Amino acid sequence: MSEEPKVGVFVCHCGMNIAGTISVKEVVEYSKTLPHVVEAKEYLFMCSAPGQDLIKESVKKSGLNRVVVAACSPSMHEPTFRRAVEEAGLNQYLLEMVNIREQSSWVHSDEKQKATEQTKDLIRMAVAKASLLEPLEDLRFGVQPAALILGGGVAGLRASLDLAERGYRVHLVEELPTLGGRAARLGKLAHVDMRGPEMVGSLIKAVVSNPNVTAHVNSEVTGLDGSVGYFKANIRYKPRFVDAKCTLCGECFRVCPVEVPNEYEFGISKRRAIYLPFKEAYPPVAVIDSETCTRCGECVKVCEPHAIDLDETGHDQEAIAGGVILATGFSPYEPPEGEYGYGRSKRVLTLFQLERLLDEGGPTGGELILEGSTPRTLAFIMCVGSLGTTKNAHQYCSRMCCASALKNMLRIKDRYPETEIYAIYKDIRTYGRGDEKLYEGAAEHLVKFIMFDTPPTVNMRSEKLEVEVHDATLQEDLLIPVDAVVLAVGMSPSQSLPKVRNVVKVGCSPEGFLREAHLKLRPVEAPSDGIFFAGSVTSPKNVIESVMAGSASAAKAAALFGKEEVRIEPMIAQVTEEICSGCAICIAMCPYGAISRKQKGEKRVAEVDKALCKACGACVATCPSGAMQQAGFKDVQMMAQIAALTEKRGA
Amino acid sequence: MMDKPKIAMYWCASCGGCEEATVDIAERILDLVNVVDIVFWPVALDFKEKDVEKLPDGSIAASLINGGVRVTDHEHMVKILRRKSKIVVAYGACSAWGGIPGLCNLYAEREFLERAYHEVPTVDNPQRLTPQRSVTVEGVELTLPEVLPRLLPLNRVIDVDYYVPGCPPTADVTWRAVQILLSGNLPPKGSVIGASEKSLCDECPLNETKPDKVLIQDLKRPYEVIADPEKCLLTQGLLCLGPATRGGCGALCVKARMPCTGCFGPLDRVSDYGAKAASFIASILDFQDEEAIEKVIDRLPDPVGTFYRYTLASSSLGGKARRK
Amino acid sequence: MSGQFEPKIALFACNWCTYAALDLAGTSRMKYPPNFRVIRVMCSGRIDPQFVVEAFRDGADGVLVAGCHLGDCHYIEGNYKALRRMTLLRKMLENMGIEKERLRLEWISASEAARFVQIAREMVEQIKTLGPLAPRLQVNA
Repeated sequence: MSEEPKVGVFVCHCGMNIAGTISVKEVVEYSKTLPHVVEAKEYLFMCSAPGQDLIKESVKKSGLNRVVVAACSPSMHEPTFRRAVEEAGLNQYLLEMVNIREQSSWVHSDEKQKATEQTKDLIRMAVAKASLLEPLEDLRFGVQPAALILGGGVAGLRASLDLAERGYRVHLVEELPTLGGRAARLGKLAHVDMRGPEMVGSLIKAVVSNPNVTAHVNSEVTGLDGSVGYFKANIRYKPRFVDAKCTLCGECFRVCPVEVPNEYEFGISKRRAIYLPFKEAYPPVAVIDSETCTRCGECVKVCEPHAIDLDETGHDQEAIAGGVILATGFSPYEPPEGEYGYGRSKRVLTLFQLERLLDEGGPTGGELILEGSTPRTLAFIMCVGSLGTTKNAHQYCSRMCCASALKNMLRIKDRYPETEIYAIYKDIRTYGRGDEKLYEGAAEHLVKFIMFDTPPTVNMRSEKLEVEVHDATLQEDLLIPVDAVVLAVGMSPSQSLPKVRNVVKVGCSPEGFLREAHLKLRPVEAPSDGIFFAGSVTSPKNVIESVMAGSASAAKAAALFGKEEVRIEPMIAQVTEEICSGCAICIAMCPYGAISRKQKGEKRVAEVDKALCKACGACVATCPSGAMQQAGFKDVQMMAQIAALTEKRGA
Repeated sequence: MMDKPKIAMYWCASCGGCEEATVDIAERILDLVNVVDIVFWPVALDFKEKDVEKLPDGSIAASLINGGVRVTDHEHMVKILRRKSKIVVAYGACSAWGGIPGLCNLYAEREFLERAYHEVPTVDNPQRLTPQRSVTVEGVELTLPEVLPRLLPLNRVIDVDYYVPGCPPTADVTWRAVQILLSGNLPPKGSVIGASEKSLCDECPLNETKPDKVLIQDLKRPYEVIADPEKCLLTQGLLCLGPATRGGCGALCVKARMPCTGCFGPLDRVSDYGAKAASFIASILDFQDEEAIEKVIDRLPDPVGTFYRYTLASSSLGGKARRK
Repeated sequence: MSGQFEPKIALFACNWCTYAALDLAGTSRMKYPPNFRVIRVMCSGRIDPQFVVEAFRDGADGVLVAGCHLGDCHYIEGNYKALRRMTLLRKMLENMGIEKERLRLEWISASEAARFVQIAREMVEQIKTLGPLAPRLQVNA
């Protein structure tokens, strides 16, 4: 800044709100004595039209180039005075406000002289800072009206449909060879008369038939550049090795020599290396698991439509979007081997596995058959992996397991009325609509509820399993022989999160899920603008809650797409490259991932992404060499403000 | 033949390292003595204060002064040199910012006299003798200079034109500074000359080994770690102040596996080196609760000495606040 | 001295929480001692220890650094950085003869006007007992 600062100070009476305590005349006269102050004026209501005119005229007549307004809180009228300053022909950021109403007059009305002294100090400090203010321009970015959605489960599908129906382009990317997510592996749902695949199927049908949606199945986003308004994604198609000519005749399944546990049945049955994930999978095309395929070629021989190409390679495709929705779901809690006998006995299974057994579309056609027989006595151990019950367990409650377990208990009682069921729980949280009825129903069907403080143990004595538990209500030790144990496992953060976070700059909560901008006020937004969350990616949720979140994130994304441009306040961090040594200390300081190292000649320097920087200044205070500064809050400006705390001799 | 430019060199509260550093330019000193006329250099030549007093004002082209201003004699001499010189250069960390002797500003005179003459375990002083201001010997009064209330960096006593950083400045930095002074093409007054405009990381061979995010879990003392010479020392838990310290030394200490202690001082935009260095180190401690933070900070026996090692005297507070 | 000594306390207030609490104290017409001089920053994470030592040098008898509660920072984790820096700085200041009570770090949310008033009164009383700092600093201007 080469020009000499010419500061105008404008002191507002605010009726009696300020003038009733502070001697405005004294303050105005004092202001005139300050360095660089050319003019000081007062007015009754500075925010009024004549008040603003006073400022504008002073600027023009006296050639002011910096304005200090001592009045109410900037939260009230900073925009007002910024506009006035701009209308006077000055950059709107050459304004500094001093809060002498809320923070002086109103709180020190009993100490008028001291309040006046305080006001003088504050104005002196503001003038010192204002003298060093620089003109700044708002940052503007155009918005691409398209969404990139990661995750084809219920949340991602709901968000895709909502956005597509509003006319926005959607790129839906799913890493598995089928859409549907976890909900597609549920059997009959609670409270609604349909199975998981049917519910999801209706969503899938609507999504894939909408011309605005491109579903990239068996694909991953391997790179994401850009920021709110304009993201460029690289979508990598993993080879399926089978194309759309597939008629699902099933001949290839017959001849494939490889057998592996079927992850879509949670390991309780097997599949081949060439397989269809499940009957209702979308797309309805077989796929080859390249990790277990031996490339023997038997399937190719029997494929009549010649749909198989073992040499297919993946390919990359670019997609442009204005916003990104992360809907990558959760992973079921996997008990470590030995926890409640898991992995040691085939008759200790998880809730997810039980769900498959009871599903008519499952490997047993819906018959509860374990190792050839139907268990007569079952123990459900609840809160597995949740509520801090065991060493590996999460501290939180996983929300959906109580209702889910009770639903299945009732199904078993319905089909096999003679079955004895024990529900061994730390807590029962049937909070959802209709869920309390599940609990009451279970009690009516004589499910025996046993509460524990210390988690039970499962002993294996030859054929039988025994559950040992200290009943916390009766204060008695119980030993229960059972035929099978079902572990109501909770929800863990998705195992794909490290991969996702490698590509998208989002942070984690202490529990390991992705962290939202504000738990209560902004639950479906990431701290970084333009990135949204849907479903269990941020915390355990049931299907209802996941679908709600999907719609919520779509609404947020749509609000973004509806704007032509995004305007951002310019008080962002800036690097002076001539001083930056590339020490990289600043990078870890930014919670928004706005700082990176860029090549400059032979060395690297820090670079701030203007669209991502939220202007907090944390990197600035950390920067060891002073190369990083914050526009509007530079070190020199702040230090000048502080240095004016006390009147200096001759200052 | 034109007169050779006159050069003076003086030492205040100094360890003598800066004098040696000047000589460290080795063979280049022969080139130097050919082009300049040294009119005052107490460590090496026999000129006295009265010889300097006799010179016309402004006739010395440049005075290079090292050491912090600690006693009245120093104050007196540097003021004379200022009058007699066109350019005054604060040479070395002590004259630039107070240096290590500046740490004495944490103590009052009686405290450090007590320490030096009585408390130190290797001192044998059964009669409890303490230096006195004056003594009369055979009818003649002999006096010692008075100790100033605080050690001052040179620029708090006289106007300083340029600064050459380092404890001591390296031979290369010294030579570069001398060349600049003799070039006739002088940088803006108040500049640091001979060194870099960027922090040490710019020339450190280990900078590129840093991960994208630099966060540390512990602060280790140099004796606790055998440092891996291929990895940034800060990432190994050593308190390397390289990021906050001006470069130009060629990263000598780091190349010898010792973390930088900050002897080249702050960059231009930093007003208080110790506060800034403490800021960046504290910021990258990967802890979220006060107890854990305090625990790791307690591993530092002397944070003031660590962060203000060379700059306490020139810092915002200058030393310890003292009840009168 | 203590009868007439009015401490001057620099208050670094974060825009979203503390500054809003100060405004709320105003609109609620609460009363607290007029010893504070507010310096507004967007986040407590912007507060450089250089600001604090400069404030003491320039006449502050006390410094109050205030931001959002941990976990509630408008910018996610700026206040954690403030916590780390001020913890180290306070230890250093103590070794430099500035009592640790003179540098106070508080988390004040936008609704906690009453709590701010209590802290303000407490701090002013405490600094009055400690006495003025300026005469003890032998700083050349």
